[in-house]
Formats: sequence, C-alpha cells, structure tokens
Amino acid sequence: MEMLQYSLRKLLAGIPLILGVTLVSFLLMVYFGPDQTYTLLGKNPTPEQIAEVRAQLGYDQPFVTRYAGYLRELATLDFGSSHSTGEPVSALLGRTAPVSLALVAPGFVLGNVLAILLALLAAHHRSRWPDKAIMGLAVVGMSISFLIVIVAFQIVFSSASGLNMFPVRGWGASSLREYLHFVTVPTLAIVFVSLGYNTRFYRSVIVEEMTRDHVRTARAFGTPPARLMLRNVLANCLIPIVTRIVFSIPLIAISGSLIVESYFGIPGIGKATYDAIMVGDQPVLKAVVGLTAVLFVLAQLFVDILYRAVDPRVSLQ
Amino acid sequence: MQFAARVSLGFTAFLAAVLLAGCGESRTPAGDASAGRKVYRHSMDEAPSSLDPVQAANVYANHVAINVYDTLYSYKYLARPYELKPNLADGWPEISEDLLTYTIRIKPGVHFIDDPAFEGGVGRELTAEDVVYSIKRHFDPATLPQGAWLWQGRVAGLQEWKAAGSDYDQPASGLVALDRYTLRIQLAKPYPQLLDSLAQGYAAVVPREAVERYGAQFAMRPVGSGPFRLVSFDTSRILLERNPKFRQEPVDLEAEGYDPATQGGYGLERIAGRSPPFVDLLEMDFINEPSARWNSFTKGDEVQYTTVPNEQLDRVLASRSPVRLKPEYEERYHSFAAIEAGFIFQVFNLNFPEFGYHPDPGQERRNKALRCAIIKAFDWEARNESFYGGIGEVYPGIIVPVVPEFDPDTPRDSITRDVEGARRLLAEHGWNAQNLPVLTYGTTGSVVMRLMFEQFRAWLKEIGYPTSKVVLRQYATFGDISRAWKQSELPWIAKGWGLDYPDAENTLQLFYGPNGSPGSNDANYRNPEYDRLYEQASVMLASPERTGIYRRMNRMLIDDCVAVTGLSRKRIHLWHRDVIALPDREIVGGFFLKYVDVLDKPAAGGR
Repeated sequence: MEMLQYSLRKLLAGIPLILGVTLVSFLLMVYFGPDQTYTLLGKNPTPEQIAEVRAQLGYDQPFVTRYAGYLRELATLDFGSSHSTGEPVSALLGRTAPVSLALVAPGFVLGNVLAILLALLAAHHRSRWPDKAIMGLAVVGMSISFLIVIVAFQIVFSSASGLNMFPVRGWGASSLREYLHFVTVPTLAIVFVSLGYNTRFYRSVIVEEMTRDHVRTARAFGTPPARLMLRNVLANCLIPIVTRIVFSIPLIAISGSLIVESYFGIPGIGKATYDAIMVGDQPVLKAVVGLTAVLFVLAQLFVDILYRAVDPRVSLQ
Repeated sequence: MQFAARVSLGFTAFLAAVLLAGCGESRTPAGDASAGRKVYRHSMDEAPSSLDPVQAANVYANHVAINVYDTLYSYKYLARPYELKPNLADGWPEISEDLLTYTIRIKPGVHFIDDPAFEGGVGRELTAEDVVYSIKRHFDPATLPQGAWLWQGRVAGLQEWKAAGSDYDQPASGLVALDRYTLRIQLAKPYPQLLDSLAQGYAAVVPREAVERYGAQFAMRPVGSGPFRLVSFDTSRILLERNPKFRQEPVDLEAEGYDPATQGGYGLERIAGRSPPFVDLLEMDFINEPSARWNSFTKGDEVQYTTVPNEQLDRVLASRSPVRLKPEYEERYHSFAAIEAGFIFQVFNLNFPEFGYHPDPGQERRNKALRCAIIKAFDWEARNESFYGGIGEVYPGIIVPVVPEFDPDTPRDSITRDVEGARRLLAEHGWNAQNLPVLTYGTTGSVVMRLMFEQFRAWLKEIGYPTSKVVLRQYATFGDISRAWKQSELPWIAKGWGLDYPDAENTLQLFYGPNGSPGSNDANYRNPEYDRLYEQASVMLASPERTGIYRRMNRMLIDDCVAVTGLSRKRIHLWHRDVIALPDREIVGGFFLKYVDVLDKPAAGGR
C-alpha cells in the first residue's frame, strides 16, 4: 500500500515535468524546427500551393490548438501518421523500437557488467599498475570518436581487407545465429566506447566506498578480497550505479543509437528519429519527445523503488 | 582478484562463443526469402521517404516508383543521349496537327499485382481510367502531391477540376479515357515534353481501390503493375521481388540503343530475347556513409553496385582523364563513368538591390559589374579539384552536356578565372572595400558546405572583397534552406539541379521570369526578351531553330552575369563482374534495374 501510494505520488509529480518538456520541445519544433512544407512542395509552387501544403500539415492552426492536440495524442498514445511516409506513428515505433532495443541491449549490458568488473579490479589495485592500465585504456576508449571506432571495427571485422567475419551492414533476427551475425560488430563498438566512461564512473564510486569504516573493519576481520569487494563494497554503492543504468534505459528504448544504426544499416528508432528531425516530420518527433519524457518519469519512479530494494534505510515517505 | 579474474574469463569465453556463433557463412538481410533465388543488391546514398508516385520527387523515390509501377513511356535502357520509348503505351501517340491533342493507346492485358484491395484479392486489369486517376491525384491537395508542375497550365481542365473540389468522380476536360484502352489528353498549349512527363515516376499508374483502401499508408504499400512488387521497406533498405504477372516483352538490344563499341564488354548480349525482370529479388540498400557503402561493396557478398566515393578515387583510379581503373579493380569490377544529367551552379538573387535590380539605372549597371567581377573571381578548376575529384566537367552557361542542345563551342570566358580583370571591373565601377555590400552565403550545416564557403571567401578576398563582408548563414536542414530560397531571403544561392527530362528547357526555365520566387527562378531574373524566347521555344518541337533559341537564351544569362555556372559531376559506377547491367541513375533514375541479371559465377575478362 505504501508502495502504491508512493508510486501514485511520484507519477502525479511527473505530470508537470512532462508538460514542461512537451511544451518547450513543441515550441522549438513549431518555431525553430524544420518546416516540412518546403520538402513536400513540387517545383515552381504557387503561394496557393504553399498554403495548401501548410493546411494539410496543420501548420495553419493556432499554437494553442496544436499543443492541445499534442497532449491529447500523448494521452491516447495515438500520434497519427508520419507526414513523410503515411505510416502510423505507433506502427513505426512498434517496428523500430524493438530493433533498437535488440541492437543496443547487448552492448549496454556488456558495457555495464564489464565496466563494473574492471572498476572493481582497478579499485582493488588502486594506484598500482592494474589500476593505471585500466584507467589508461578507459581514457583511450573515451578519447576515440565513436565514428572512428565504427569505421575501424567495420574494416577489422567485416571488410575484405580485414577479418571478413561479419556483415558490414544489415539486420536480421529471425534466429539467434542470424541475430548474433548482425549484432556482434555493433555491440563490440558500443562496448568499446561505453566501457571507458562506465569504468571511470564506477571506479570512482567504488573507490569512495572503499574508504568507508565498514570496509576497513571488514578487511581487518580478514574478509576475503572477492567477498569484500562484492558484499561490502559493491552492494553498498549500488545506488549511483542503479541510477546511472536505469536513467540510460529510456534513451536506449526511444532514441536508439543513430550513428550505429546509420552506419550498420539497421532500421531502428534512432535512424527514424534522425530522418524525422531532418525533414521536420512532426508526428514522429512529437511521439519520440513525448514518450522519452514519460519514460524518464517512469525511470525516476523505478529508480526510487530500486533504492529501497538495494538500501532498506531509504524511506518511501 | 581471483573472483574478478574468473568472471572476466567467463565473459571472455562467452564473447568468443558469440563471435564464433555469429561469424561464418554470409547472410543477406533478405534472409530466407533469398534462398535459392537470384538476388541483385543495389546501393543508393539516400532512402526514398515515400513510395507514393505523387511524391516521387527525387531519384531515390523514382528508383522504386518506376520499378513497382508502370509508366506510359520510359527511357531506353542503353541509348545515349536519352531516348523515349513506349512502355505501358501501345506505341507512339496520335498527335493532332495543332499539337494540342494526344491520343494514347494502352496495352491490353496488363494487370496490377494481387492485393487485398482488389475484389477477391486478384489484381485487375489496368485501364485508361487508371491513368486518368493517377494524374488527377497531383491536383488533389489531400495527397500532398509534388508533380502538378508537370501538367499545370498545360493539360486543359485539371486546374478547374481542382478548383471544383478534386472530386475523382467528376471529369477533367483535358484528360479523358475514351474507352478501356484509349486515353485522350487535350493541351491548353503545345507541350513538347508531354511524353517525357509521362515517363516520370509522378506519372506512374496506381489503382484507385488500393489508394482508397490504404489511405495515407499507401505511401508504404505500393500496388502496381511494374516488374517488381514490394516485400519490405524501411529506412535502411527496400526488398522487391519479381512480379510474376509482369508482361512478357523480350529485350531487343538494338531497339534499346545498344552500342557494341562502347557497351560491348558488359555481357549485355546475354539478356537479348529474354523478358525482364531477370532477378527474383531486387534489394536496394540505402547507405548514406561512403565508407560503409565502399566496405559493403568491396566485401564481395553484400551490395553489388556503388558509385566511387571521392575519397576512394586515388585508390581506385589509374587515370582520371580518361577515367581508367587500376588493374586490380579492373579485374574485379565492371565500371562506367558518365557525366550527370544535372549541374552545380550559383545564382545571384536579383531581387536584392545590392546585387541585382535597382531603381537607379546607374546603380544597376554597377551591380552588374559587381556580379561579373565575382564570376571572374570564381575558380571552377579549383572547385572541381577540391570537391569533385577533378573529374567533373566545367562549361559556360546552363545547358548541360547530356542534352542535345549543348554547345561545346560556347566561349569559356565566363568560367575562366581572371582576378586582374575582376579587380579592374570593380575599380572602373567605383567599388571598393568600403562600399562593397555584404554577401550572405547560405548553406546547409555540413562540413563540406562550410569548406566550399571558405574557398569562395578566399577567392573574393583576392579581388579585394573584405572577408568580413562575405558571411555564412547555415541552415539545419535542406527544408530550411529551401524555405529561404523560396522566400527570397538570400542574395546568393548555391545549389544543384537534376534534369527531369533530357531537354534544355528543364534548365532554361530556371530563369524564366514568371517562375520567380517561390518558383524555381531563385535568381528572380526578369528579362522580357528571355521570357519571350522561352515562351516561343516552349511550344516548339525539337529542331535546329529551337536549339538556336536555347543557345541565345544561354548567352543572355552569361552576358547578364546572373549565375556562376556550371559544373556537371562525373559519376564512376562500379559493379561486380557477376552482374549483367549498365547502371545509371540519371533522368528519372532506375529504369535499368529491371534489366539487371546476375550470373551464377563471376565472368572472367571483359571490360
């Protein structure tokens, strides 16, 4: 009951956030975003034809009417159809979001799990060579552009002049084998790039935890290193780790990864969003922005509940 | 430490297992659909945003539109310069003596693909009424059409039909199906390019049932009578399969314009006498990133066609003029280099009194001198070397080399850099660093565009134009800069133009006065003599007299210093040796795809 009340309170508190995000983003879309009128016009248009296209796109409506329509769409989760392709936005999201999720999830999981392991290792050997080596590599990973990593990995793993083991591009997930065939190189690229950032962050959190009295006491009692690092250190620094992980999920689910999708020819939501931005396809943009805001509110709620799970001292009041 | 090491080892083993499981034999995204079937994988640098013919506004959309739908006419596969041929039309039209009435017969027995939109799910026969319906859609604002400009003011009655509410059950006087297989088009004035307009993707024939059943989703669900039908489509690729109901029309190579002397090494003889399409699956991958496209092409088992990206020219070419591949590429790929059917150019917007028309005739003369000086400062050779691999073709004026009206003997002074002449011209007309106007250079926000601007600014600096007076205005998207052009917000417009049909009229109309902003005359050039000649030529059939008029108009533009022009890019097409084709993406684009065949084994030797 306490949990339900808490959840409802948090959800209600999220409404102003959603309204704020949608209002600001809609303002930007309407007044500063791309105007799709000029993408949809034929050659030698007359002023009347320009007006016709604007009317078809609904650009001739007052801002308030358009914003109210947006909120109604968000509440009913019916965002209409893409102005570019005519595809219902819900179908587009249903088609592309799972692809992005399947694309990014392995890299996301591996990137975080490996980073935690490396961070534990580095923190355990703080200021000694394993720590310096891991942190040095982390900085290297952080310093190389994602774009260069992708191109290099394509050449190394996929091209005729490299190992030629995987496809340069494409997507398929009709079987596990096919899925692994297409997802491996993108995953390696995602892990390579995210590992540096994650490892540095987790190491700093773990190192801070290791300075606590309870860790020193446990060590003095002769707790084995592995047990010490897992039960006394990692378990007690889960709150910042959980926060970082959970707040990344909405971005993965909705925004996808534009660069990866673009370079590997993967029909995910990142590419769809980018295309919508470039042509000003407002139904798609409204859906992506609105749903991202909603997911962030839900992620916040989820994080708060998880806090309680990982640290019983946290109150839901 | 031991624990972490064990876990790390476990992960390493897992990753190794994944790598081993994932690698191995090649898999196409076509997946099971490709098993045992003949597949051709094409690549393009952009994806079409819509598959509805009323929005087939670019070469990417046309590649799909003309392959899933039929057009009355099309361009011959191999003839260059481009030549029309009847496609869905049963021969050439009967044309009245006054050139105002066209009667076109349609081939009987052509069927749309099977689709739930039809009664019983079986595709019905395509009739003249479908052609009428398809063209009418361009005059229905609800479809967001982009092709009305082809017939607006030319085909009688369409504007009136639109004004009356675009009711498809009402007739349009100039567009009538006389019977099931006969179409009559009544023109308001002679329109020599009418048949070209009927070869465009815009003119592709759609069935009314499907449009009404699928509504907005028709843009993603084509139902046509073309050589292929849709299997799947997303922003990364489109997969088409052979339309089993496509009519049997054996290839007559000679009629298609085959030239053994220049096209003899591609194996095209193998398709003679056979009915296209020759592949079971046609996959088009949309790859915007040149490095990814190149890696996919050279990999061997992915895309089978690419154009050579500029950054690969040094690696691939043994010689740029003439274009010749290095032996290792010659051995592995077919190649073909061709000038694009379009051009790159810049215009001054003459609506700006600082550069163009001015109430004071004296100032207007000074403005013209300023424009001429800027044209003299422009270094086309450097532009070609820097951004087009040095293989583009630079020529004066706006009549591009691929059209028959092109005159290779046009004096080249307007494309020859003359810094001293430019400085002298400025000085003679009283221009100096203090009174030169600010020149706003609008571009989209890409690095290449920025570099082009910097190069241009450096050239102007050499003739005494202060750097601070040549300013950049960047736009986030093409739609944004299009709006600026249409609203006449920029004094200097740099853009490219792809020909819709192989007739110089298509570029000359870019400077026709009534086409001023928001029309395609971005320069807002208004010259009564030019307009008179345009109107005179626009109703004439191709003839030496018309060519003479075109060339006079071209000379006027050069003399009036309206535009810095022009350059046509050269594209080097590469395709795998097991592919029988002569690829081409110019003039509508994609007509060649139905003729592509794929050998079971790579052919040895050849071009």
